[in-house]
Amino acid sequence: MMTCKEVSTLISTGGFSDAPLTRRLGVRLHLLMCRHCRAFRRQLEAVARSARAAAAVHETEPSRDFESKIAASLKR
Amino acid sequence: MRDVVQLDAEYLGRLRRRDPDALQSVVDEHGRRLYRAARGMGHSATEAEDLVQDVFVTFIDSVERFEGRSQVGTWLFGILHHKSQERRRAVAREELNDPVDQIFESQFDGRGSWIRTPAAPDRQAGAAQVADAIRACLDGLSPAQRDVFQLREVEELSAADAGKILVLTITHIGVLLHRARTKLRMCLEGKGWGRLR
Ligand SMILES: [Zn+2]
Repeated sequence: MMTCKEVSTLISTGGFSDAPLTRRLGVRLHLLMCRHCRAFRRQLEAVARSARAAAAVHETEPSRDFESKIAASLKR
Repeated sequence: MRDVVQLDAEYLGRLRRRDPDALQSVVDEHGRRLYRAARGMGHSATEAEDLVQDVFVTFIDSVERFEGRSQVGTWLFGILHHKSQERRRAVAREELNDPVDQIFESQFDGRGSWIRTPAAPDRQAGAAQVADAIRACLDGLSPAQRDVFQLREVEELSAADAGKILVLTITHIGVLLHRARTKLRMCLEGKGWGRLR
């Protein structure tokens, strides 16, 4: 039986899909039984979703005070 | 009519003296194009802004060696490419140990079980509020962690593709992604994720 730490580390490093079959099955079994690790996985998904939403807002343009910030740093 | 050479000399003289209007105008004229180019080279939004700022600082420091206004753009893009490569090399050299590894470890008990259930995000928080929190938290990552998080989670590239772009092994990509995610989780929890539900 895999521990929460092993399962969560494997999920967090993104190494889950490249792991051997027995490890992948171990993770699936653990997730079925462990609400903490399911919460952890949801948390990571939420962080990624929020980051994608935040990136979409200023995808191609810098922040509003970009030029004045840079010019100010040069004047110092 | 003043000739071009004279105009250039005057403009460069003002830049060398760090005349505020001249500094502002060179940033206004080239800043956004440099920023878009940095984004195009695969740098994250935060990192592109850092990089462009770095480009202008280097430009002003080296403006003595500089001859004509017409080449300013080319010169700036040259600096950008150089800085971008420098940054990539720094990514490859990132330390093997990071204090965040211990923070992750400390969230488990002796048998390797979660001590506390990871917090779910606050559904009531507005999108703008969440975006501001994320951006502030991304500033706490190292450039390498930010690069990996950007490519893996925002651009949704595979570990293999991210590794090709950043010239890192898949294992190293995994370590950096794990650290980036751990720091972001801690930072967002600190900003009140999961407190209201
Ligand atoms: Zn668990």
